[in-house]
Amino acid sequence: MTVTISAKEAGTARIKIEGELDTVTVPDLRNQIDKLVADEPKRVEVDLSTLRMLDSSGVGALVSLYKRVRAYSGEIVMIGLRDQPLAIFRRLRLDRVMIGTDIAAPSTAQKQSSSNH
Amino acid sequence: MMPGSVPIKLSMLGRVQHRDIVLRAVAAACKLVRPQPTLPPDADWNDFRMQVVTAVSEAFNNIVLHSYAGREDGIIEMNIRTGRNHISVELRDFGDSFDPNEIPEPDLDRLPESGLGMFIIKELMEISYRPGRPNVLTLSKRLTDSHAGVLPEATKGGEA
Repeated sequence: MTVTISAKEAGTARIKIEGELDTVTVPDLRNQIDKLVADEPKRVEVDLSTLRMLDSSGVGALVSLYKRVRAYSGEIVMIGLRDQPLAIFRRLRLDRVMIGTDIAAPSTAQKQSSSNH
Repeated sequence: MMPGSVPIKLSMLGRVQHRDIVLRAVAAACKLVRPQPTLPPDADWNDFRMQVVTAVSEAFNNIVLHSYAGREDGIIEMNIRTGRNHISVELRDFGDSFDPNEIPEPDLDRLPESGLGMFIIKELMEISYRPGRPNVLTLSKRLTDSHAGVLPEATKGGEA
């Protein structure tokens, strides 16, 4: 797993999680989340477009991040989910509960359209 | 001898570092579950494999984290059996027993951060559990009816 945190613009932080988020890699992510949340960015974008595998402990870490950001009234969106991680989100109804979160990866047509702008 | 009557066997220490070996074996075994092997895998089959791998991953984690609870010398034995349209994965361990039916279902509306593993397993595969020495957890799954429907009637139900 690779975690990259970047400041997109003032008050917005982006965290990109790549590879496998599971029992083995979750402790490392939690350390990164602690650092991210300490600054209380107003908006957090969680880029999961290159997340390949997600297990229940990884879900726990993402839900924890969601709750912590919401606890200080921050906004959080999870974007780009696809394949196995998206299927897990749907099984756990996270796509319904995380209201306002655009979880699914954009379709190919949408990506082509957005890349033209 | 019928294909699938002799299980594919693996034995290893119950450590999360060994899970990838297990999952690769399970993913490879799923390739044996093909009603029509000459046709390329379709979306149903890809979904089938994803679900099997995900469930076995959770089950392996449960054994390491709960049955063996930090012990690093515990043994996990895995037997995989495949047929034309089904797979079963048996995981045996010698740690603490548990009853899957006594694990409460998570309240998903409350966004739980733990206790999701067994829920995911049950969502994705049929399970049976026999406590003892060893504890035996068996996960089974058939390909969807729509996929299996391409089989000629005479071959249905003929898997091992």
